[in-house]
Amino acid sequence: MNEKPTSRTRETLQILLANRLAVVGLCVLALLVVVGVIGEAVAPYGINDIDIANRLTGPSGAHWFGTDELGRDVFTRVLVAARVSLQVGFIAVGFALAVGVPVGLVAGYYRGTIDAVLMRIMDVLFSFPAILLAIAILAVLGPGIGNAMIAIGLVYTPIFARITRGSVLVVSEEVYIRAARSLGARDGRIILRHILPNVLAPIIVQTTLSLAFAILSEAALSFLGLGVQPPNPAWGRMLAEGRNFFQQAPWMGIFPGVAILVTVVAFNFVGDGLRDALDPKQKSVIESRGQSV
Amino acid sequence: MNDAILEVRDLTVRFGTKRGVAHVVNGISYTINRGETLAIVGESGSGKSVGVLALMGLLPQPPALVTGSVRYHGRELLDLPPREWRSIRGKGMAMIFQDPMASLNPVRTIGYQLIEPMEHHLRLKGKAAQNRATDLLDLVGIPSPKERLKNYPHQMSGGMRQRVMIAMGLACDPDVLVADEATTALDVTTQAQIVELVGRLQEKIGMAVIWITHDLGVVAGIADRVHVMYGGRFMEQASVDNLFATPRHPYTRALLGSIPKPGKERPAKLMTIAGMPPDPVLMPAGCPFAPRCAHADGARCDDTIPQMESLGGTHGAACHYPLEAKS
Amino acid sequence: MRAFLIKRIFQMLLALIGVSIVVFALMHLVPGDPVRVALGTRFDQDLYDSLRADLGLDRPLAQQYVSWLGGALTGDLGVSFRNGQPVTQLILERLPATITLAMAALFIALLVALPAGIISAVRSGTGLDYAVSAASQIGISLPDFWAGVMYILLFSLTLGWFPSSGYTQIGDGIGEWIRHIILPAMTVGLISGSIITRFVRSAVLEALNQHYVITARAKGLSEWQVVRRHVLPNAWIPIVTVVGLQLGFLLGGVVVVEVIFAWPGLGRLALTAVKDRDFTVLQGSVLYIAFMFLVINLLVDVIYARLDPRVRVS
Repeated sequence: MNEKPTSRTRETLQILLANRLAVVGLCVLALLVVVGVIGEAVAPYGINDIDIANRLTGPSGAHWFGTDELGRDVFTRVLVAARVSLQVGFIAVGFALAVGVPVGLVAGYYRGTIDAVLMRIMDVLFSFPAILLAIAILAVLGPGIGNAMIAIGLVYTPIFARITRGSVLVVSEEVYIRAARSLGARDGRIILRHILPNVLAPIIVQTTLSLAFAILSEAALSFLGLGVQPPNPAWGRMLAEGRNFFQQAPWMGIFPGVAILVTVVAFNFVGDGLRDALDPKQKSVIESRGQSV
Repeated sequence: MNDAILEVRDLTVRFGTKRGVAHVVNGISYTINRGETLAIVGESGSGKSVGVLALMGLLPQPPALVTGSVRYHGRELLDLPPREWRSIRGKGMAMIFQDPMASLNPVRTIGYQLIEPMEHHLRLKGKAAQNRATDLLDLVGIPSPKERLKNYPHQMSGGMRQRVMIAMGLACDPDVLVADEATTALDVTTQAQIVELVGRLQEKIGMAVIWITHDLGVVAGIADRVHVMYGGRFMEQASVDNLFATPRHPYTRALLGSIPKPGKERPAKLMTIAGMPPDPVLMPAGCPFAPRCAHADGARCDDTIPQMESLGGTHGAACHYPLEAKS
Repeated sequence: MRAFLIKRIFQMLLALIGVSIVVFALMHLVPGDPVRVALGTRFDQDLYDSLRADLGLDRPLAQQYVSWLGGALTGDLGVSFRNGQPVTQLILERLPATITLAMAALFIALLVALPAGIISAVRSGTGLDYAVSAASQIGISLPDFWAGVMYILLFSLTLGWFPSSGYTQIGDGIGEWIRHIILPAMTVGLISGSIITRFVRSAVLEALNQHYVITARAKGLSEWQVVRRHVLPNAWIPIVTVVGLQLGFLLGGVVVVEVIFAWPGLGRLALTAVKDRDFTVLQGSVLYIAFMFLVINLLVDVIYARLDPRVRVS
């Protein structure tokens, strides 16, 4: 029992590292995290260094991504905005995990009324298109980055609750869980020690994929003026600002968009790679194919 | 040999895998005549199913690589363009499978699936096809066949579904029916009924049957001749009576020893074969059974692959040290 | 089948009540006094009091909820704080733009996703499969607002093929309508299409690995006959689910694209209402969109059950 998790982790890692796209995604993400931490220190300019004389100039040696309508360096702002995107993504998904996973564990383990009530509440949250729910929540809480995190977190909570519950329902039927129950182990202990470790795989995969979509959502909200507030740079905001100067200075919108795209693709690559490595269903397909030979 | 419908010579199937080349079927040869039943017996992993899939052209190439020769009425199948092979598959040669639930399409009616090969090969449509389908269901012993045509697979029992599969196999009057573990997924009573049904149909229609199974009990009830397969090779071949009466290959003997015989006194200990079937990627250089064989000599058996030798008549064994015939 | 339907409708009604409570509660948590904000500089205590009384804001919350829900059920969602127009009328005015955009986008999505998904499953492991997978991966990761702006830059500003924004009705000429709808529809349609492509691929791949496919091949059918007659009928079942989800999303979730293309749809109505603090309009439009979303989910389940004889006949 002690040896199993580590060998499984190693096996997962091996499969993941054999997946070229997942490795590319991991490298990009590592780079992004580094940029997020030290971006401001290594950026060539200050984020709000205004240089009216050089406003709306195209990409050049001095300004790799050009300058915006106030002469600020677009490269600097794209670099620095990486931090806020990752922050919002991680905190929002962290929120969704912190609420959704316990809800799913309790609903799946106890079933019955508590399950019905909790899952109906999740269904209600699931009945709104994601962006609309986030907008409505922000209408109540007011625009801003902290509220955007809560709004996005709430939007992604029901997914985690559902996935966790679904896996718990399956795992609870396993002999060792029933054995632990009949031996009189405490519920809390069974849930944390026996069930949670066995439902982690789909949760991890969903976490990675949700990070991608949380970052997209933050960009959309910032684009609509409901997320990160000026003068702080955010990829979505920069795009919205760039839209007004689109014909003269397309670089103002192109580069932040590329940054979003690359980040989201990287998370998706890793998420897909993890799914291939962790998802027992996919794995069993591969194994059974090997056996029929 | 005018009666030979199917002649298989030196059929070999290899698969490219990540670990290396898997030698799954390693040169098997047999002939099957009109109206005859040939059983191929082996454990799972012996290559028996892959061998018949190759014969039917149902192995995707790649990853499979099929070599050797399969002659159907003297016509070489392995060189045939896919289109021409398709015109034989399901018509002259039909196949039924192990799991009748999984082998029937859940979202199509029994009628649709039964009529499909008739439409495809015989250009039979509408009322005529309906009638033939009804007759076929009747033939395989399904009550109120006309109504059953509208049913979906999930509305039938396992035994009924396997009867439907057999009816589908018979749809175009094949002269060879390949049954791949056709009774394995069924309970014992139903097994017996299906075996009996195929035997009866065979007499009536005069088709040849290749019966693939791991169950020697089934073989006794149905086959004329038996080939025992292990590690992708035939270990022994004989008429069914000879095989049960005088098994000459240690593997066959072990296999027979692992089934309890009803009626007779129970042996003190049911014999089991120690060890595992060989890994197709790491096939032994010599006899594939040598690592598990009590009679292996540790030298020749490990180095040289024994060839199939006649032991008189049609009885043959691929063993350097065939057992003495005793009863 | 009937029991299944009744159960689903019951579940939907339950969810709808939950949705209405959430929407109502959200709007009454909005910070700031909406009436005061609406009056702005024209503030007058008497007018303020009478407006509050008109809107029923002086009554207890539970009472307000019941009367609001009762109104909503009879098609009365109150009047806009901003311009006094009935909210139902505002929503109905916006509906054609939203529905046409959703349909056009779904059309483009399916046009791309069905062939791409099927081919990449049937030819899985080939270069074509990898190309489709890579393209759909990028499509899924594409921010819609950025893609929309890029299309405007390319097709409108540079090539001059299509107008960069605006909406015309079908009745005013089909050519103009197509010219206006194509860029916004493409923006959301290609993203939806990428998502659907992945589902189509995995659904077809899953069906291709089933035993009945070997049975079909053993009958002598060609590979495309096998796909058409046996694989697709099974693959439709999961595909319908994701297409339905996408349609629900397209009918209510394309706020950003509506903003970019100045498309007078429901999403933009809701967003404008947020900025104007026009809470009756926001309440009404969010409730309506969620309602459509639930109805479509129900329809999906019904189609799902129709397609699957294991559910239909039992």
